[in-house]
Amino acid sequence: MKLKLKIKGKEREVEILEEGEDKVKIKVGEKEFIFGKEKEKKGISLIQTSIPRRDFSKKEIKAPIAGVISEIFVKEGDFVKREQKILSLSTMKMENEIVSDFDGKVKKFLVKKNQEVKEGETLIVLE
Amino acid sequence: MRDPEFKIKNFKEIFSTNQKAKELALRGTAPWTVIAAEKQIAGYGKEKVSWFSPQGGLYFSIILPKSKIEDLQTLTILAAFIVAKTINDNFSLETLIKLPNDVLLNQKKVAGVLTENIIGKDVRLSVLGIGLNTNIEKFPKELENRATSLKIELGRELNNKKILKKIFKELKEQLKTISE
Repeated sequence: MKLKLKIKGKEREVEILEEGEDKVKIKVGEKEFIFGKEKEKKGISLIQTSIPRRDFSKKEIKAPIAGVISEIFVKEGDFVKREQKILSLSTMKMENEIVSDFDGKVKKFLVKKNQEVKEGETLIVLE
Repeated sequence: MRDPEFKIKNFKEIFSTNQKAKELALRGTAPWTVIAAEKQIAGYGKEKVSWFSPQGGLYFSIILPKSKIEDLQTLTILAAFIVAKTINDNFSLETLIKLPNDVLLNQKKVAGVLTENIIGKDVRLSVLGIGLNTNIEKFPKELENRATSLKIELGRELNNKKILKKIFKELKEQLKTISE
């Protein structure tokens, strides 16, 4: 398969050829590159780790279980780290320490001490 | 017979066996390790209400394997039943369970269970603590009408270690049935 691709502003002819089992030869101009299955995998993981991971989902901490907020350990404006204790949630049968899933600044606290919360209810929002 | 699966860390005196269990679990101590103390300086129960823990009582916590939160809720209630059953079966006493986590004898508290979890996206760790008034001879005035011990009820000294092992074995069995 031959392709014409623009690489760094220069149009180049790229040819993709099969080279035995699980191997692919890619010719770019006069240069040849051979990729095996393993090399491909390594290449992919390298790309994934070199790109900084950005979490675009909402940084919300939700109640994993219904209960009453018994203690709050951080306040709005505080920076919290992943795994840092945020609050305690008491249920009829258990005491639960809720820790943050993210690093971030506490943007909004949606609950107060002694408040009853439902399972899945958002407790705090981080940014 | 010595049970190789029974791993126990004994302390003479400790703030709280649950606290210690949480600390150790966070540092990687294996599930089903038991943390026992002869005396707790700051033992507590539900909603951090203090638990009178002088020498003579049986105070221990178990680091639990990772389970679903709903299973742990069941286990807490189950633990109270197991403690009650152990007392009934071994000492011919009639206990009453005050749901969800207290065991009463003659309308007075004899044991309590407290499960504590650390939860992020999932359950990070869980410990189950049990306080059982075994060989306590006397309670302070403010507790006299609300708490009792097996020694007060039976008039004899009991083997804390044996009782602990019985409860532990049963709990392990029961967790298998609800988790698997």
